[in-house]
Amino acid sequence: MFGYEFYVDPSRCIGCRSCVQACEECETHRGKSMINFDFVERRESIRSAAYVCWHCDEPTCAQVCPADAIKKGEDGIVHSSLKPRCIACNNCVVACPFGIPKMMIPEQQMMKCDMCYDRMSIGKRPMCATVCPSQALAYVKPEDLVHRREKPTNVFYFGTQKITTKVYMMAPADREGIALDVMDYMWEEDHEMAETS
Amino acid sequence: MRWLRRVSSEPLWKEEFSVHTADERYVTRRQLTKFLVLTSLGMFVGNIWIVIRSLLRKPPSFPQRVVATHGEIPVGGVKLFTYPADEDHCILIRTGDSAYVAYSQTCTHLSCAVYYSRENDRLECPCHQGFFSIKDGAVLQGPPSRPLPRIVLEVRGDQLIASEVKG
Amino acid sequence: MPNSTDLPPPSRGLTAISGAMSLIAVLLIVQIWLLSSALESFLAGNQHTAVPAAIFSGLMFLACLGLYFFVDHTDLEVRSTRDRGEDR
Repeated sequence: MFGYEFYVDPSRCIGCRSCVQACEECETHRGKSMINFDFVERRESIRSAAYVCWHCDEPTCAQVCPADAIKKGEDGIVHSSLKPRCIACNNCVVACPFGIPKMMIPEQQMMKCDMCYDRMSIGKRPMCATVCPSQALAYVKPEDLVHRREKPTNVFYFGTQKITTKVYMMAPADREGIALDVMDYMWEEDHEMAETS
Repeated sequence: MRWLRRVSSEPLWKEEFSVHTADERYVTRRQLTKFLVLTSLGMFVGNIWIVIRSLLRKPPSFPQRVVATHGEIPVGGVKLFTYPADEDHCILIRTGDSAYVAYSQTCTHLSCAVYYSRENDRLECPCHQGFFSIKDGAVLQGPPSRPLPRIVLEVRGDQLIASEVKG
Repeated sequence: MPNSTDLPPPSRGLTAISGAMSLIAVLLIVQIWLLSSALESFLAGNQHTAVPAAIFSGLMFLACLGLYFFVDHTDLEVRSTRDRGEDR
């Protein structure tokens, strides 16, 4: 829909998983949810975060696909892999910096959020954004967000790789982009934690 | 064709197998444009070949051959002969006491043999009703687009000698 | 609710490329005719039509080549603006 953008604000997520349930009900992907639902530091907190595909401008998943199965349309939506071409090699699953693609083993196909293309093409909004009670996932016009303290950004830095996306992340207002160093988020074993504490 | 491509930051395979569906239309159009331009080059080369052939062509030389003697055929009569080669059939017509004309007998439409029609005083092709003038071989009617080639005759004594093919 | 008939902006450059291709096709048809008539005239014995025909054919080929470079340049331009994110 023209003028509308998708905004993700993980700080608003309450963990109700309405998005997961709503996405599951879609006939297109046979009852499997395409929402990436994570718990954040589950040992210490009850925080959760729900993500959809970020639909990058130059999608890493598409660039590493050896079968040329992942395509980005003119409207900017990165689609799930093309069933005749996907060889289930998992290259995209490994390559995506956000960890979005899901490999469906029984179907031998990579599937992921495609921004509810079947709904969007007839003028409806994505399912997850429609049902999210806290609007952690929101599909609104930019002017509807000006009252929020966070500001949208769609620039990410993964090490030396700069990624711009179609989906916006709500971030603190002073951030130009979001820089993530994977090493900061590596899982630490118990004995390592004992050493640092 | 690498030297014809402008320098691009991406390798060719990335452009031709792009992840963006919008690019597929560009690639198809670009390939078709390349093909059309190559065809255009082929046409130009063909024209150059014609120029070379026309420059190398020698002006034809014709033999001189006696085809008939004066008085051999009556006024309004015809004689068939071959000139310059044995497979080039020609027709000689006596139009007056001392007037003779000769033309190639091969119709310029689809190569049927023309005959002389005394009643109409013209050369006629029976296949598609193409008529030629007896004076200069010009097309009077019908599908032929070019006039009949004329055989130039010389009179030496009482011999009629074919010396050239014109047209 | 927003209008469901809103579509994304159409791809730029495709119209220009289609126009250039139509021009190339027209030039090609004229070149085909020129070649056939030059050949017919040569076979009929005329020596003086070959060179002008070749010159015009060459000019038309150069025009086709120029249009091909235009198509290539437009393609590159659209890709680079898209890659820079200006074409969203």
